[in-house]
Amino acid sequence: MDFVKSLSKQNPGRRSFLWKAGAAMSAVVASAVAGVSGAKQSTDTTLQDRIGRLEDANTIRRLHQAFESRLDRGMYEDVVGMFADDAEVVFNGGLFAGKEGIRRLYCDHFNSGLTGKKIEPAPGFRLEPEQQQDIVEVALDRKAATGQFPYSMQAGTPMTGDSSLVQMARLQGEGIVKWWEGGVYHASYVKVGAGWKIKRLEYRAASKADYKPGRMYAMPIDVPAFKSVFPKNPIGPDRLV
Amino acid sequence: MSKASFPKEQMHRIKYTKLTKEQIDRKLVPAAAGPECVSEFSDVLAGKRLKIVTDNGPVLNYTFNDKNKLSVSVDGGASVESGYGALTMEQDAFFSQYGTLTREQIVFFSHMTPKTQTGYNVFIDLESNLATVFEVWFSGYKDLREVQRQIYYGYVETAGNEAPIKRHHLTNRIEGKGFHWKQDTGIETLEFFPSIVSSSFVELTRFGGELTFCGPSDYIRINDHLFIYDRTECEFSGIMTLYVMDLLSATQAGMRLGFNEKDELEYYMFRGSGEIVGQLAIFEPFNDRGEKIPLNMPGMDQKGARPVYRPFGDHPPITESEIEEAVRKSTLIFPGGEAMAGNKMGLSHYLVGLELTVRYDNGPAWDYRFDNMKKLRWRKVGDTQWHEEVYEAFQPDRGVIFFAHMHSGMKPYECVKIVLDFSNGLTSCVHSQVGSKYMANEVSYRFIFGVIEMEGMTPPKYLRHAFTDELAGRALTWNYSDTLTSMHVYSTPHSYSWTIFMENGAMGMQWSSPSRYAKIRDGLYLFSWVEEACNGGQGTILINTKTMHDCGFGFSGGKDGLRLDTMGAFARNAGSYDVKRFFGPGY
Repeated sequence: MDFVKSLSKQNPGRRSFLWKAGAAMSAVVASAVAGVSGAKQSTDTTLQDRIGRLEDANTIRRLHQAFESRLDRGMYEDVVGMFADDAEVVFNGGLFAGKEGIRRLYCDHFNSGLTGKKIEPAPGFRLEPEQQQDIVEVALDRKAATGQFPYSMQAGTPMTGDSSLVQMARLQGEGIVKWWEGGVYHASYVKVGAGWKIKRLEYRAASKADYKPGRMYAMPIDVPAFKSVFPKNPIGPDRLV
Repeated sequence: MSKASFPKEQMHRIKYTKLTKEQIDRKLVPAAAGPECVSEFSDVLAGKRLKIVTDNGPVLNYTFNDKNKLSVSVDGGASVESGYGALTMEQDAFFSQYGTLTREQIVFFSHMTPKTQTGYNVFIDLESNLATVFEVWFSGYKDLREVQRQIYYGYVETAGNEAPIKRHHLTNRIEGKGFHWKQDTGIETLEFFPSIVSSSFVELTRFGGELTFCGPSDYIRINDHLFIYDRTECEFSGIMTLYVMDLLSATQAGMRLGFNEKDELEYYMFRGSGEIVGQLAIFEPFNDRGEKIPLNMPGMDQKGARPVYRPFGDHPPITESEIEEAVRKSTLIFPGGEAMAGNKMGLSHYLVGLELTVRYDNGPAWDYRFDNMKKLRWRKVGDTQWHEEVYEAFQPDRGVIFFAHMHSGMKPYECVKIVLDFSNGLTSCVHSQVGSKYMANEVSYRFIFGVIEMEGMTPPKYLRHAFTDELAGRALTWNYSDTLTSMHVYSTPHSYSWTIFMENGAMGMQWSSPSRYAKIRDGLYLFSWVEEACNGGQGTILINTKTMHDCGFGFSGGKDGLRLDTMGAFARNAGSYDVKRFFGPGY
């Protein structure tokens, strides 16, 4: 039996993840759909407006690429700077609000768990074709936009427990429970001055697996969602969602 | 009269004085005259001048007046005179009809700088002209007595010759080795290297050889058989031991610097000889020679930085009332999700429905009724009232069940971990309570052995499970989950060390604790330890060397409340040290 199918049978609720690295292909799809909904098209009268929105869509796409690149390089403070002041991020059942909340997510939680680094999908996990598209839609007034991007990243969280083993592992820079996570970013953007900032970002995880690069196999895993909020949990969200 | 020297307190119980800088200044005055040595110092440097150039470190210009006096200029500064000592290591000793021919390869000399708390220890490789310099100093950490060190690699500058490109360097080529050493002082030690940043040692002479201790260490390769090693007894006396060793002749030449438990200065050089007692497996990729240490720790680029586990500071003692307050807030009995239980065995239903009595020699006797897989009732034999408890049970071997539960409502907080050996009608119990005479948040315990009484079983009159040294010297890795693996070295019959794997398979942080071992049957051992003067928690596991899987329980009471939980890990054989002969009354 095909491994992917067998996993799907074991986990009927899990969406499979099919990764295609063709950014160019995705970009073509995205360009084609940027600001093209029928209702909007009816009021979209000038060629200049359409070109402007396509330029905005490309700018947002580059913003997202920069966001992923900074995550990849562990530049978490720079990542925080890409968000609007009143932005929010939804990750693993928690909502992180405002710059402070987002800084807590990226500089404390992601940093401690080495989360966000791009890695290849776990063997046997696929995303549905429609989930692998880059989609950017720019509002007619060109002050707001929405986006959808696939992601495939390493996620991690510090091990819980106070045993000496865990403490020693933490001390030598380990003690991180790591997993692979694939899914889709659902984002909204806002124009601030001449540039764009992320207004809201939601990690919609499709699959999580006990995979680290180099392995030949992976199994789906359950990762506990946030159970407590800040300040009880010093790296926790502002509220649970 | 015992020939063994057992201290009143072992190293982890000694309250070492927090020496002040001024006290250290005064105590170091004799060090200016150079180290002492039982063996004769070498005069190989007498009358010579050496310029030692190091990478990213000092340039040392030495003039050796004789075999005890030198003057040194550091980085072109004013010359300072001090005493020194030098020892050599021979590369080879060739015995023939013409006599013994030896060729010196390593010169090791040591000196302190008068009126400072700093000194230099220099290893010169006469064959390659390479030099490795250990700068050492006191008052560099909040516990001022702890010797600090910075290692510089370099060479001896010789006129007309270009600087060599190669250097001595860090290595994992000696990782896993174990030694028995006997110094010219008569001091005997066992020293184990199951890490690339730490080592463990057993003081056979100074502390009676009961326990294993650990200290941060460096391992430097000179060539395939000559290595430099050091350790500092951080969290204890802070003394540093530094030596060069030859694997071929099993000899060493070294230096010891620091203040002992009586706050006396120990600054001496030594020769020693011994044997390699074993070699453990190492787990790095085959192309990894350990020249870089994959530590992801902040501040490691600072002078003197080294990875040190500091349990004493991390786990300060707390009072009984603080524990009670913590227990009121949090009492967790088999909460699940423990980091050390990722590979635990499945629970056993073997006991469900059974009624039995466990009766321990010179100890308690308890009646049991096991209502289901999670609930039991117990009472002291003779009592009428039953106590209900949550329990968990594993079956690690045929006819053997290992279960644990709290004795709820007891003060001090108490639990039992019980082995039921139905094949032989025997039982062993690790009876534990929170609190010891040293710390309120440290578990104390006893092993008790006895028999099972139940319908259809006649237990033996004399046969019992018993303490054992069968595991002494063995090393097993324990994989608790994908992200947590350690290696146990059962280095003495009453202690062990554990070392945490780094991401590349190298061994990293290490610590040790007293422990006890009992044999249940061939291949099945009951092992318990308390992390004394540390977090005070207890681990008790049944090690099955047939299935290489353990099962067991953790028990602790402290700032985080009261906790009884399970653990389980898969083992791999990592080798063994031939050390049993160094322990026991006969040694």
